[in-house]
Amino acid sequence: MAPSSALQQVLLSPAELSYLHTSLASTPPIRPDGRTSRQFRPLIAESNILPGTNGSARICFDDGTEAIVGAKAEVEKSRPVFAAREEEGEGEEMAEGQGEGGERGRNEWVDISVEIPGMRDDDSMPVFLSALLSEALLADGGFTRKLWINRRFHWKLYIDILLLSQPLSYPLPLLSLTTHLALLATRLPRLKSEKDEDPMFDDDWEASVFLFPQSQTAKPPATLLVMAVSSNIIFDPSKEELAVAEVVLAVSISSSPSSFTPESEMDVGERKGGSLKLLAVRTIDPPSRLTHPGVPNVVNTATGGTATDNMEMAMAREEGVWKSPRGGAKRKLIAEMIRKVLEKGGVGEEVLDGLEAVGLE
Amino acid sequence: MAITILAPAPAANPYPASEYSDEDSEDGGADLERDIDMRPSKRAKRSAKDIVTPGETVTDDPQWMRGHGTYIAPASTEIVATVAGTIQKTNKLLSVRPLRARYTPEIGDLVVGRIVEVQSKRWRVDVGAPVLAGLPLSAINLPGGILRKRTETDELQIRTFFSEGDLLVAEVQSLHQDGTAGLHTRSLKYGKLRNGVFMSVTGTGGGGGVIRARRQVWTMDTEHGGGKVDVILGVNGYIWISKHIEVTTAETAITRMEESVSATVYSSQNDEIAPETRREISRIRGVITLLVQKGLRVDEEMVMRGYSTAIEVDDREPGESNEYLGGDRGKSVLNLLGGR
Amino acid sequence: MPLDTSTYSLALLRLDGRRWNELRRLTAQISTQASADGSSFLSMGNTKVICTVTGPSEVKAAPGASGRGDEAVVSVEISVAGFSGVERKRRGKGDKRIYEMQTTIATAFQATLFTHLYPRSTITISLHILSLDGSLLATCLNASTLALIDAGVPMRDYICATTAGSTSSYSSNDEKADPLLDLNGSEELELPFLTVATCGTEDEVSVLVMETRVQVGRLEGMLAVGVDGCKQVRDILDVVVRARGKRILEGSQL
Repeated sequence: MAPSSALQQVLLSPAELSYLHTSLASTPPIRPDGRTSRQFRPLIAESNILPGTNGSARICFDDGTEAIVGAKAEVEKSRPVFAAREEEGEGEEMAEGQGEGGERGRNEWVDISVEIPGMRDDDSMPVFLSALLSEALLADGGFTRKLWINRRFHWKLYIDILLLSQPLSYPLPLLSLTTHLALLATRLPRLKSEKDEDPMFDDDWEASVFLFPQSQTAKPPATLLVMAVSSNIIFDPSKEELAVAEVVLAVSISSSPSSFTPESEMDVGERKGGSLKLLAVRTIDPPSRLTHPGVPNVVNTATGGTATDNMEMAMAREEGVWKSPRGGAKRKLIAEMIRKVLEKGGVGEEVLDGLEAVGLE
Repeated sequence: MAITILAPAPAANPYPASEYSDEDSEDGGADLERDIDMRPSKRAKRSAKDIVTPGETVTDDPQWMRGHGTYIAPASTEIVATVAGTIQKTNKLLSVRPLRARYTPEIGDLVVGRIVEVQSKRWRVDVGAPVLAGLPLSAINLPGGILRKRTETDELQIRTFFSEGDLLVAEVQSLHQDGTAGLHTRSLKYGKLRNGVFMSVTGTGGGGGVIRARRQVWTMDTEHGGGKVDVILGVNGYIWISKHIEVTTAETAITRMEESVSATVYSSQNDEIAPETRREISRIRGVITLLVQKGLRVDEEMVMRGYSTAIEVDDREPGESNEYLGGDRGKSVLNLLGGR
Repeated sequence: MPLDTSTYSLALLRLDGRRWNELRRLTAQISTQASADGSSFLSMGNTKVICTVTGPSEVKAAPGASGRGDEAVVSVEISVAGFSGVERKRRGKGDKRIYEMQTTIATAFQATLFTHLYPRSTITISLHILSLDGSLLATCLNASTLALIDAGVPMRDYICATTAGSTSSYSSNDEKADPLLDLNGSEELELPFLTVATCGTEDEVSVLVMETRVQVGRLEGMLAVGVDGCKQVRDILDVVVRARGKRILEGSQL
């Protein structure tokens, strides 16, 4: 579970919280900005903004938060230990590896760092976010395989994620979508040398190859934030909406490459059809738990009531008074939230398609 | 489609310096005549639409007094702008109104604020200004009669009136030497806010955002069975939109009214609000967001016009009523607004 | 790789094709980020910087923070993106050079902004360096100026900065060395240079930083070229601010 310090506490009055909660809990939910429950705020996105990187992207959310991601690849010698061990113990596998497409990658070939203004690099929030983002990226091992050059060399990919604005709301979706876009735009020089020679590359940037070719179904992962109030499932919550959430999930998805069968994956939810793959689900401690409850009129001395020890009783009776939610989420609800992301024609698919269209421009 | 992804606006795209010069020369060409006309008395007759930038001499005529956004260079009579903005003249006072800036409190301003700190005898209130404003316990109406003496019990119970996070509407009563504003809520119009939503509009000035107007608070009738809705436009850019609550004891004597109102003035409990009202509140919020995005001024007239246009657009479109005002719907609302 | 100075004396063109007194392409935008009080994006050639300004605002007094009661404190945070250079490199927050730049920028603006109007508050300038190719301090100063104007913080005048160098190194002791304006990354590595910032049109120097050795005789020429470059920068920035203002005023009329 995400540390609660990772969520910026938004200061709201009990009356506001109560209003928001009741609005979001009604059917259909009434969001303060009038969106439907699965509608995202419009975002501004562009990729390939920094010529000095292998791939870069910038996304601005509607609330004014902004992130830039740059990916830079460097050729690195693979650790000899790795090769030696393989020769000894796993010779067979290595022989297999020389066959088509059997190269193996290592997680340390990818270096993700998250920078958030006003926070140290070792603060819990950047550390947690970079762990979460790399977890999604490395989940199926398919990504690091793309960095394999030959048995002696590999690409080391540095992904630097910069949040440019103050972390007004939970920045995970913003950072994840920007990273997704940057990786879609990432290109590596074309390899000219053969087999295990020292790698030589084509100088022509026009000839470079995409890390995620458009022809292939494999796409980088994306993490979406989904929240629920009573039984309403709401996508892309704003910071006010997050403040009254009962359940918050960070769902990491990617489009599943055809060569993979879903059964072999760590698939948590029941997936029926659809080309999306669930990589990870994290619950995030909703900030609503930390809010102060409102005081009902009957026990408020300032409104003519009398103070009583039995707050609980009074709270239970009154409508329109904010009570911070208690207890966890129902499994059914969580399964439904995940299903809504993954389902065919669902939100996850639309988000991924939308982002892909940015890269094509 | 769940998600709309926009390409960055031309302004958000790094464009080459040559474009500036192009634009500049075009403008220069177009403005040439006017420029010549103005030249003889260029400094004396600046129009309100002219932009001055920091370091630019506004006037060297000693008859003017310098106001906000200007300074007088040592050993000269020149009034020089310190911010980028438009010139405002009030009698002999010359000031430059910045295109965008934080709210600067002025006495008499109606503001919406949020309590961020409770001290022993006062609250500290975020009003969007550079420093927090103060609301002393002595500047609020105590429950149970306006003329009641303040007691120690009140000091101990300070949190029952306002506590951290609470929103209130107040008036700026005083300005201290260090820039902090002192607020008061000693009127029935002021007090704790409930039954609605808050929104903050940044960047006042340049004709956009909330401006000091004749009326900052009004009640409007909404469509689609939404009933009456109150809108409070704080001069500081904080806005509160809520369900209108009828004061039932309107016919009783003034003194009685004070008492009955004070019974709910510190309540943090919402009344029952119908979903229809909530929808219309969302719509009004959307209208204001739209106005701000386009840099339009936010006042009673513009909000009312925007709202009726939004209703028009909504009714015209087939399907279910939708109060979302982003994307194409927002554009058509703005086009209609502009067409009038 | 030594810079080939022989070609310069032949054609009087620098490696990137500029003449001695030419600036690189300078582009700038204001109000790039809605959530900040003020923001800007500025690039001088391939050096690109994003600047956001927060404040003036009251900050919870951090332990040890110098809370000046009578005027606002300007604080500067610089972060260099790992991908900004040719080689990927992470710079920690404690980097001495970064720290020095932060102090230089803070001091310059502390003197030019009307901080006395905002007692007990802090103006925070955050600079994100996205791409690095010389004239870094100058680019940061220019970006900060724009973001501060966007935030509506009163200032005496624009602070505009540029770099100036000399066509041959100190050791070559070339008497006929020409001054150069706005050095890029490779020129900075090779040649003596200084960063100069002026406040306003009156050639009032507010920042002057030089970390390389150069003959005293050449200094005056370099300084003159630098100050002249600052004027060019000021004109460009002024156009950007006015264009933005015009757009705002046009937008506010419907």
